[in-house]
Amino acid sequence: MSADIPSPWELFSSMLKIRRVEELLMEEYHPADEMRCPVHFCVGQEAMPAALGLVMNPEDTLFTHYRSHGYFLAKGGSLDAMVAEFYGKDSGSNRGLAGSMELADHAAGHYSGAIVGGPMAIAVGDAFARKYRKSEGLTVTVFGDGSLDEGVSYEAMNLASLYRLPMLFVCEDNGYAAHTGPATRRSGDIENRAKAFGMDYRETDDKDPMALLDAVRDAYQSVADNGPVFLTVNTYRFCAHVGPTPDEALNYRPAEELAAAVADDSLQRLRTDLGEDAGARVATLEEQIAQSVEQAIRKAKSSPFPAKSLLGEAAASNTAAGLIQQVPDLADFSAFTAGQQEAKLEPY
Amino acid sequence: METSETSYAEAIRAGLDDAMRLDPSVFIFGIGVDGVSGVFGTTKGLVDTYGPERVFDTPISEQGLTALAAGAANAGLRPVLVHQRFDFSLYAMDQIANWISLWRYISGGIATMPLTIRVIVGKGWGQGAQHAKSLHAWFAHLPGLQVVMPATPADAKGLLVQSVFSDDPTLFVEARSLFSMTEDVPTEPYRISFGKAAHRRFGNDVSIVTMGSMTPAAIDAAEELERDGISADILDLRTIAPLDMASVFASVRRTGRLVVCEPGWGFMGVSSEILAQVTEEAHSSLLAAPMRVSWPQTYSPTSSALESAFYPGADQIAAACRKMVA
Repeated sequence: MSADIPSPWELFSSMLKIRRVEELLMEEYHPADEMRCPVHFCVGQEAMPAALGLVMNPEDTLFTHYRSHGYFLAKGGSLDAMVAEFYGKDSGSNRGLAGSMELADHAAGHYSGAIVGGPMAIAVGDAFARKYRKSEGLTVTVFGDGSLDEGVSYEAMNLASLYRLPMLFVCEDNGYAAHTGPATRRSGDIENRAKAFGMDYRETDDKDPMALLDAVRDAYQSVADNGPVFLTVNTYRFCAHVGPTPDEALNYRPAEELAAAVADDSLQRLRTDLGEDAGARVATLEEQIAQSVEQAIRKAKSSPFPAKSLLGEAAASNTAAGLIQQVPDLADFSAFTAGQQEAKLEPY
Repeated sequence: METSETSYAEAIRAGLDDAMRLDPSVFIFGIGVDGVSGVFGTTKGLVDTYGPERVFDTPISEQGLTALAAGAANAGLRPVLVHQRFDFSLYAMDQIANWISLWRYISGGIATMPLTIRVIVGKGWGQGAQHAKSLHAWFAHLPGLQVVMPATPADAKGLLVQSVFSDDPTLFVEARSLFSMTEDVPTEPYRISFGKAAHRRFGNDVSIVTMGSMTPAAIDAAEELERDGISADILDLRTIAPLDMASVFASVRRTGRLVVCEPGWGFMGVSSEILAQVTEEAHSSLLAAPMRVSWPQTYSPTSSALESAFYPGADQIAAACRKMVA
C-alpha cells in the first residue's frame, strides 16, 4: 500500500468507470443476446472495489464472489478481456470457458467463482502460501453476506485466525442473498461470528467513499501488523441480482428501500464533493469510458470463438513439472509382490 | 537397482520423504500426520526431519483444509492432504467437484492445481459403513482429476511421487488392508507415470483386470486356475484416471475373456466402465460375456461373520474365470 492517500478524483474515476461499464453492458445485453452467460452486475456497490483497487498492490491476490466486474477491473484486469469473456470469445480472460461467473485474471491476481463460500476458503490457502514462503503482500477475499450462511466460511475464518494468516476478509453486506433477506437466513449477527474466532472486526458503509477508502487502508495496514481483519461494508445493490433487467417484480425488497438507496448514491455524493469546477474533467472522463466500452464490445463481437479442440485441451494435461524430469520413471517395470513371479523389465 | 524389503505403508512414507527432500514447496497436513504413529506409519518421523511448518496436524475441517490445499496449490506450493478414511474426504465434495477438478479448465488451460489428497480405505475389524467406503469411481468421473490406486509397495512409492509432482490434482487411494504387505522396493527416488497398467502375470485364457486391494486375490486366483490348466493374464491398472484401456484391449484381443475385479461397488463402478469400453471397442474378440467381481450393492457390515461374506476374494475371481472358460 502506498503511503500517499489516493485523491477523491482517483476514487471517483474508478467508481465512475465501474458504474458506466456496468450500465453500458446492461444496455447492450438484450436484445442482442450475444453475451450468453449469467451476469451479476454491481450497480450501487462500486465504492468498495474502487477503494480496494487503490489500496492493493500487484503482489496481493484477490478472491471474490461472482459480482466481480468492479473487482476484476480494479485489480488490473483488462476491460477488453472481460467483455470478450462474456461474449465467449477466445480472447476472453478465461478463453470463453468461464463467462462472468468465474472471471479471473491469473496474472493480475484476481479469482472469482459462482459457488458461495468457495473463494473465501481458497483464499486461505493463498495466504498460507505467503506465510510458508515468508513473502510480502496480502490475500484479500470479498464475499457477500450470504456467504456467511455457508459452513465453510467458518472453517476458513477459523483456519485464517488459527494460523494468523495475512488476510483481509471483506463482507459486502447488501442485505440480500439473491432475493432472500437476512431475517430468513441469519440467527445472531455478523460481528459476533467474526469475533468468535478472535478476528479484528470492523464495520462501515460506503455512503462516503473517501471515508471507506480510509477504513480500507486502515484495515489493510492492520493485517500486516496484527493478523486477519474482518471488515463489513454495508452497501446496497441498485440493479437486479442477475441480468440487466430490474427484478423488482419479484417483490423481495420494499420499493421505498431501493428508492432511498438510489437517492443517496455515493457516486453522486463524491461527484458533488468534487465541485462544479470538475465538470469539464468529468465530461472528458465520461467520453473516455464510453469509448473504451464501445471498443471492448466491438472487439469482442468481431473476435473469434475458441476452437472446439480447447474443450479437451483445457481439461487435463497429464504433465508433471520440473524436478520430476530428473527422477526415473519405472512405469514399465512390473515388479511382483510377496516373492512370487520375477519382475519383467520389458514393456507389455 | 538397489532394493530393500519395504511395506506398503513404509513405501508411502518413503515416497513422501523423497518428494519433500526434492522440493521445499511440498508440505503434508491432516489429522495426526505429525503424531507418533504417523497415520499407520505413512508419515512417521517426517515432522522430525522437515519440521512442523511442513508437516502439521489440523482441525477437523476437511472442506476448509481441501480449500487451503487448493489455494496453496494455485499459489505454486505442492500440498499433500491426508484423510485417515476415504469417507471423511466427502466433506470436501464442493471444493473437489466445483473448484479443484475444473480449475485448469475455467482458466482456459493455463492454471495448475498440483495438490495430492491421500485417502485410506478401511477394511476389517468392523470398520463398517462409515469407515470402509471407496468412492474412487465418483472421483474418476470428474474431468481434470487423476485417481490413483496402488496395489503394491513399489507402485505406492512411485505413484505417490508422480502424484505430488503432477501439475494436476490427484486423489491417491490407499488400501489399509495392504499396509503390511512387503516386497523389494527400489531405495532411490523414482516415479511411476500415470495411465500405464502393471502386467502382473502373463496368460492366454482369460484377462483379469484388477486395481488396488483386489490385486493379491487376483494373483491367488490365477495360481489356483493354473493348477486347472487355465492361464490368466493379469493387468493391475495402477491408475483409474487416466485409465489404460490400450493394455486392456490388447489383452482381451488375445484371450477373448474378461473379468474385472473392483474393490468397490461394481454398480456404476470402474468395472462397468471397462466392460462398456471393451464391448464397444473389442466386441468381436469376446468369446464370452465379460464379468465383474465387486462388492454387493450394500454396505460393509461391522459384524465379522457378515464382513467375510461382503468382500469378494480369490474364490469368487477363480469361479468367474472358470465359468467363462467352460
